[in-house]
Amino acid sequence: MKKLSLLGLGAGLLAAFSFTAVPAIAESTLEMVKKRGHLRCQVGQPTPGFYNLKADGTWVGSDVSICRAVAAAIFGDPQKVEFQSVSSTVRFTALANGESDMLSRTATWTIFRDTQLGLNFTAVNFYDGQGFMVRKDSGIKSAMELKGATVCVATGTTTELNLTDFSRMNKLDIQPVVFSDNNVRNESYLKGNCDAITNDKSGLAAILAGFPDKEAHIILPETISKEPLAPAVRKGDSQWFDIVRWTVFALISAEELGITQANVDEMRKNPPNPEIARFMGVEKEMNKGLGLSKDWAYNIIKSVGNYGEVYEKYMGFGKEGIGIARKGSPNDLWTRGGLMYSPPFR
Amino acid sequence: MTEITEQNKVSEKFVPKPSLPPPPNTTGAIGWLRYNLFDGFLSSCLTVLSLIAIGFMCVNFYEWAFAKAVLEAANRQECRITPTEFGTCWAGVKFWFTRFIYGRYTDTEIWRVNFAAIILILWMIPVWLPRVTAKLNIALSGVLIFPFLAGYMFLGGDRNWFMEIMVSVALGCFITVMIHSLLCLFTGAGISRWIIQLTGFSSRSERLHKFPVIMFAVIIFLLSLFLINDVAFKEMPNNLWGGLFLTLVISGIGIASALPAGILLALGRRSKMTVIRVLCVAFIELFRSVPLITILFMATTMFPLFLPEGFHINKLASAIVAVCLFAAAYMAEVVRGGLQAIPKGQYEAAEAVGLTYWQSMGFIVMPQALKYMIPNIVSNFMGLFKDTTLVSIIGLYDLLGMINAVSQDPSWIGLHHEPLFTAAVIFFIGCFAMSKYSQYLERNLGAGHGR
Repeated sequence: MKKLSLLGLGAGLLAAFSFTAVPAIAESTLEMVKKRGHLRCQVGQPTPGFYNLKADGTWVGSDVSICRAVAAAIFGDPQKVEFQSVSSTVRFTALANGESDMLSRTATWTIFRDTQLGLNFTAVNFYDGQGFMVRKDSGIKSAMELKGATVCVATGTTTELNLTDFSRMNKLDIQPVVFSDNNVRNESYLKGNCDAITNDKSGLAAILAGFPDKEAHIILPETISKEPLAPAVRKGDSQWFDIVRWTVFALISAEELGITQANVDEMRKNPPNPEIARFMGVEKEMNKGLGLSKDWAYNIIKSVGNYGEVYEKYMGFGKEGIGIARKGSPNDLWTRGGLMYSPPFR
Repeated sequence: MTEITEQNKVSEKFVPKPSLPPPPNTTGAIGWLRYNLFDGFLSSCLTVLSLIAIGFMCVNFYEWAFAKAVLEAANRQECRITPTEFGTCWAGVKFWFTRFIYGRYTDTEIWRVNFAAIILILWMIPVWLPRVTAKLNIALSGVLIFPFLAGYMFLGGDRNWFMEIMVSVALGCFITVMIHSLLCLFTGAGISRWIIQLTGFSSRSERLHKFPVIMFAVIIFLLSLFLINDVAFKEMPNNLWGGLFLTLVISGIGIASALPAGILLALGRRSKMTVIRVLCVAFIELFRSVPLITILFMATTMFPLFLPEGFHINKLASAIVAVCLFAAAYMAEVVRGGLQAIPKGQYEAAEAVGLTYWQSMGFIVMPQALKYMIPNIVSNFMGLFKDTTLVSIIGLYDLLGMINAVSQDPSWIGLHHEPLFTAAVIFFIGCFAMSKYSQYLERNLGAGHGR
């Protein structure tokens, strides 16, 4: 304790000059964000597809789009976001201590995190799962054939634990080769130091995109873990929770209703059916409980597009995409056999 | 006569024969090679092996850096030299280079960073010019007042009254330093003498000399206040700062504050006043025994938890404070080591001539001790410069943070050797320059007494 108080004293004296004090007792997160004029949205360190720093200094990616969508819903302007890129070791602390308003990064929704870390997961925006990649010429077609294989894996994540579980359950005697740096792990695999490489499948697709000869590797069909990735907020502010959750739902609903970034203006002018009219805020008042303006959902689609558009752009085969096929995956709409499902706008 | 003959005899006796030239194989290049590289069988073997190893590395490096280089490409896929192999993709480094240096700073505002850097260089050049006087004042003003000017130029936005005054003072100081240095270079006399002469006060008593100088300072201050009146920079919040720029901001402030803070802590630790000594020892031991990364995490993540709700500390500010505290603790021990090298007689002599504590420290002990500390101080500075890369872990995008972002960018995915090599070169240049400068300082101050 002496350590803490001394450190606190020293830092407190010196930091007293740099404080920007915003006394905000019992203020709702929405009021705080509105007063500040921008959203503080936490992402992680650059990860292909989800959140990337581009060479012009802007953040892009599917999780980044969620941040922008929330900003659009609140302010009507997707640019009013401050992105906080925080390493994964302190991601939940940075949300709990009030540094971030919300967290939109590849955080897996688990019971422990949802119930014991003082945060709430809102709605899944990407279903991921761990898989394996091997060289085609190895002849391996299934993860069950990885008997006694050496597998390159990143340390310090659930990936490593899932791998040992999988190996024990199926008596495969897999030898993990552990790396802390992903680039080094990928290169080791390329040089042939491991028979296979394991990661979340989205990560595997990104790794594959960075290989010179993409045809020489395949991602095995098995998915050995469930990784539902969802934006999260601090516990205790249900209005804020609803805003983030319904932002995700608005993205999914828009795709279901056929609303795209291109036709959103047209649809608002002449809504083809009552649900779209409600979605656009033309009929009824779906915004009241959220404390947002009537056209909040319109603003979201106008700024970032619907879920499918965001997916294609960053995760799919768009110009900045990392090439993960959506068809037949859990990330497709429920109408096409996927898991993406939004409660109705009614 | 007898003397002369005796002398002749002596000179005949002692005419030395011209010495033979050394054997040809012990002089010149061949001799050097024989003596240093091929002195015996083992030595020759080692030489040959080392030469082969060096040659091998050189060839490989040449192949990697030049033969396989791809200088023009729009993304990494275009860097392929064969369908299954990537070349050395310098195009990616070129594409990202602005970000390495300035981070996410908006392109149209980058000139502000460059401009502040130029001002700092101009401010500091006079310190190295032999004809310029009042160097200590110039250096101190550069360290203490320039940060306000730079801070505003980097951050922009609205100025409150405090910043308004400090920026004007800084600009005024800069103008004064420039005029002063030019006057020194061309006339050999500093600014105050020039003002006194110009206003005709030189004929009056010394006591009055300060008035024209104060008048001049006020005029310059008002002039700078007027100059910056219409200047308004766009706000660049510091989450946009990054790259080498951020590395230099953090390590620069750390380095500038470490030495004075370290000196005070070291003196405190040797003090006879118990409270001060205990506090200094506790501070030094606490910060020296905790890794920098822990201090950074504490300052940026844990510390906000102890604050009342709604308080938000600027992350960069807390990281800088953490780095400064850490650097001060290390510097304190370096300084203490230097102080212990000064013989007790020096302290006693200073006391004997009636100097106060601060006088004896400032005029007798520190000038001698600091001279011997130079190598250690500079090592510390270099260490700090490199340690700053740890802030990339707490989410500040310094040089290393930007470098790591390249390999995750879908267009350049997996590209990490070339950016890392670039970072290595940048750090080497920075550290080598520091090391060379410290050697120059040592020679100039005669530390080591020419041994």
